[in-house]
Amino acid sequence: MIAPQRLSLKFYFADISVDVEAFIPVFHRWIREHVVSNELLLDVADYKHILDGPALFLIGHTADYVIDMTDGKPGLQYVRKRELGTDLSKALEMTLSQALNGVKLMETDVELRGKLKLGADAATIAFVDRLNYPNNDTGAESAQAQLSDSLGAVFGVDASITRVDNDPREPLTFELHAPSAPDVDTLINRLQARKALCGQ
Amino acid sequence: MSNISWKEILLEEMPADLAHEVDIFEGQMELMGQGKLDEKVFAETRLRRGIYGQRYDNGQRHDGFESRDLAFEESERIKGPDTLWHAPGMQRIKVPFGGLTPDQLDVLAQVADEYSDSILHVTTRQDIQLHFVHIEDTPDLMRRLASVGITTREACGNSVRNVTCCHLAGVCRTEVFDATPYADAFAQFLLGHDDVQDFGRKFKPAFSGCENEACGLVMMHDLGYLAQVREVDGKQQRGFKVFVGGGLGTVPHQAKVLSEFTPEDEILPQAQAVARVFARLGEKRNRNRARIKFLVAKVGIEEFSRLVEEERKTLPHDDRWSAYLDTLAHYEEKPTRPPTFLNGQVRLSAFNRWFETNVYKQRQEGYSVVTVNLPLGDLTSKQTWALADVARKYVGDNVRTTVEQNIILRWVSDADLPLLYEELTALGLGDPGAGTIVDITACPGTDTCKLGIASSRGLAAELRTRLTTKSASLPDAIKDLKIKISGCFNSCGQHHVADIGFFGNSRRSGNFKMPHFQVVLGGRWRDNAGSYGLAVGAVPSKTVPEVVDTITNRYVDERAKGESFQEWIGRIGKKQARSLIQPFMQLPAFERQPEFFSDWGDPRVFSLGDIGIGECAGEVVSLFSMEIATAESEAFEAQVALDESDPTRADALAYSAMVKAARALVRTQFLDVGDDPNRIVQEFKTRFFDTELFFDQYAKGKFGQYLFERHQSPNQNPDIDSAHRLIEESLLFIEATHVCESKVGGNVLIEL
Ligand code: SF4
Repeated sequence: MIAPQRLSLKFYFADISVDVEAFIPVFHRWIREHVVSNELLLDVADYKHILDGPALFLIGHTADYVIDMTDGKPGLQYVRKRELGTDLSKALEMTLSQALNGVKLMETDVELRGKLKLGADAATIAFVDRLNYPNNDTGAESAQAQLSDSLGAVFGVDASITRVDNDPREPLTFELHAPSAPDVDTLINRLQARKALCGQ
Repeated sequence: MSNISWKEILLEEMPADLAHEVDIFEGQMELMGQGKLDEKVFAETRLRRGIYGQRYDNGQRHDGFESRDLAFEESERIKGPDTLWHAPGMQRIKVPFGGLTPDQLDVLAQVADEYSDSILHVTTRQDIQLHFVHIEDTPDLMRRLASVGITTREACGNSVRNVTCCHLAGVCRTEVFDATPYADAFAQFLLGHDDVQDFGRKFKPAFSGCENEACGLVMMHDLGYLAQVREVDGKQQRGFKVFVGGGLGTVPHQAKVLSEFTPEDEILPQAQAVARVFARLGEKRNRNRARIKFLVAKVGIEEFSRLVEEERKTLPHDDRWSAYLDTLAHYEEKPTRPPTFLNGQVRLSAFNRWFETNVYKQRQEGYSVVTVNLPLGDLTSKQTWALADVARKYVGDNVRTTVEQNIILRWVSDADLPLLYEELTALGLGDPGAGTIVDITACPGTDTCKLGIASSRGLAAELRTRLTTKSASLPDAIKDLKIKISGCFNSCGQHHVADIGFFGNSRRSGNFKMPHFQVVLGGRWRDNAGSYGLAVGAVPSKTVPEVVDTITNRYVDERAKGESFQEWIGRIGKKQARSLIQPFMQLPAFERQPEFFSDWGDPRVFSLGDIGIGECAGEVVSLFSMEIATAESEAFEAQVALDESDPTRADALAYSAMVKAARALVRTQFLDVGDDPNRIVQEFKTRFFDTELFFDQYAKGKFGQYLFERHQSPNQNPDIDSAHRLIEESLLFIEATHVCESKVGGNVLIEL
């Protein structure tokens, strides 16, 4: 299946004791210190004045990292917007890999360490591409199958993917529930092992 | 890559002309990528499609310690002078008179979500802006907008910008008549018009329904229209008092009266005449003096009026001047619900606070206008879809943006107000305080603007938070004061017409620079931006909240009964006004107060290192260069059509490319040649072919003959071979046009 125009993955904060403001200097430092070694980071965009929306963006060339408060559920959203390749399964793996890397960077950041925890047992995945993945039944089924395949292998056998019954104008969106998901390091290792197995 | 494309999917839904324009632009992007288009020409081309540069797009960013390279891929690839191809930019979307439908809101939200950061930003000129857009996404973005009747054409660049109009027009209690259909006709008429393609700078028009309110702000516009009615032979005649040469910027000018009364059937030809005078006599090389206000000031309003009148007499007749008048009688907005009254419903105190500031009673009984107070002019895609549904339910198509960066819902049936308030609140869009001191206007400033010096949005957010927290206890005298903030002296935040205005600048303390804001007091928002404020001094950015408190407290303490803020500032004078802020003007050392050396919402140590060159600055491109670029794009499109085995389309495009090239050449001598191919070919023949100016040293008139042959004998059934041949001929013809133009020397220049 084709890779979408944009793919986003949001992990939710299981614990957080800092407010959005605290991420601003962190993101600026991430840019300065090239913390994400394989992505070009550009700028910080502050929208925390908007209620229950994307509050803070670390804008990148290939991807954005967002402290997202949508629906009152704070989380870290990774939005891959360029260089997704052509194949959905590879795009999914790459997005997941970078998103998990983002989670790890955030949890271990020198200013944030011990102040937040992102849960790996649930995530929201959105196909932001109304041309190839309109939010209707047509594309949803095969996208869901691919998601189950790609994410199931990493998050554990009891991981399930459900389609979110959202407004058709919104992107095609799925939820991942993975009650026995391991910690982030294990997830990253599994993903790497899977990549090695596929010869990528 | 996908086998389907927005271009194919939306083919039937896009107006043909808009679709074609986007194709042309896409062709120009392709040519730019191949290095076949001049960078300055391409820059102006994309600006005229609303694609603007954004901070750091030269590949440099100051990280608080030093300026560092942003390692974009293909760093040699550019989209204009000193502007990297892959750097994100801003897409401005024109919204004439601010009018939007729910369907348009839906699509705007979708393109924001897919190509931007999912935030829609309402500007001080009723546009919508999206930020962090990659140029390669813009053709599809434009196609999707075109499918709901929106164009981004001439949203930036040296062109006629969005035509603004009072957001209350048509429902206002004090207007003379509804200016909306006139603003709309004006926008349609001048969009892409030949006579507005050769300005030295941008040109901003505005319409207003009455003299005393603020809404239209005609006094600060390049061309402003104020609705008037006069009696002629016992009959009421509609028209406008017309103003010209207003503008903010570094040196604000109040507009001058061009005519006391221009009848409705004369406003379009008169505007056309103004455009021609501006194009011909306006400054082209020095952008700092290129706005029409400088021309009006230079020649004087009497002489300027005379020139316009003379020009008017020479204009070839155009049916469009008055055609729209026939439709005026049918112009009306339809409410979706019957009129009702707010009577007896339970009213919570939160609703009452909102009702007091965000609801305007319409002239039409039983209806109100509701202002959706957007913090900093922003709303998310998700909010936009929900707002579109709220609009569908309560007001239908009657949605507008405002110059105070809000959105209004018109024709709300009064009894619906409590429920509507609840629904807006649930969306995070129910903030009270619209049009009051908490509803602060701010330009993008250092967040995204290349020219920004200080963080106007950061400051606005801070002031909004602080003032909202104490809004219940604010004295009545200051509740309705306007605060407006610009990130630099260019005044996009309209600080000159605020009670309390600020624009960003900087001061040095030791070895460090400190963000500052110049304080501008006593500007007049009412009376269509009736007068400009007094600059009293600059204070460190971090002191501004205290400065606001100090000024407002003194005003509350010292004002005479009924004395307005402007009157008070006028009474105490500049010296005393300055003394109010004097205590804040001291510059602390970095070591003592390092927080003063970074800006609101930005922890980096402040620097001016990120200021770039504004995209309206400096370069000069000839009108010929701009027009020949369109011809080249059509020739390119013809090649694409041939590759797609569509010889009929390829043939038509190749011919059209030749006609456009000939037209570009003719217009270096004769601007009024129009669009008729017969006329263009005839003028080309007389001026360039018969005179042998077009002749090649060796091929003589051969390239010109290509045009004549295809023009006289169109091929009824072009096949692949004949289309291929014609494309080759069109390329040679375009090449010869370039050679001829450089030989003869074009005389019409455009400044970037
Ligand atoms: S006022 Fe200055 S900083 Fe603000 S948008 Fe205009 S040019 Fe940019």
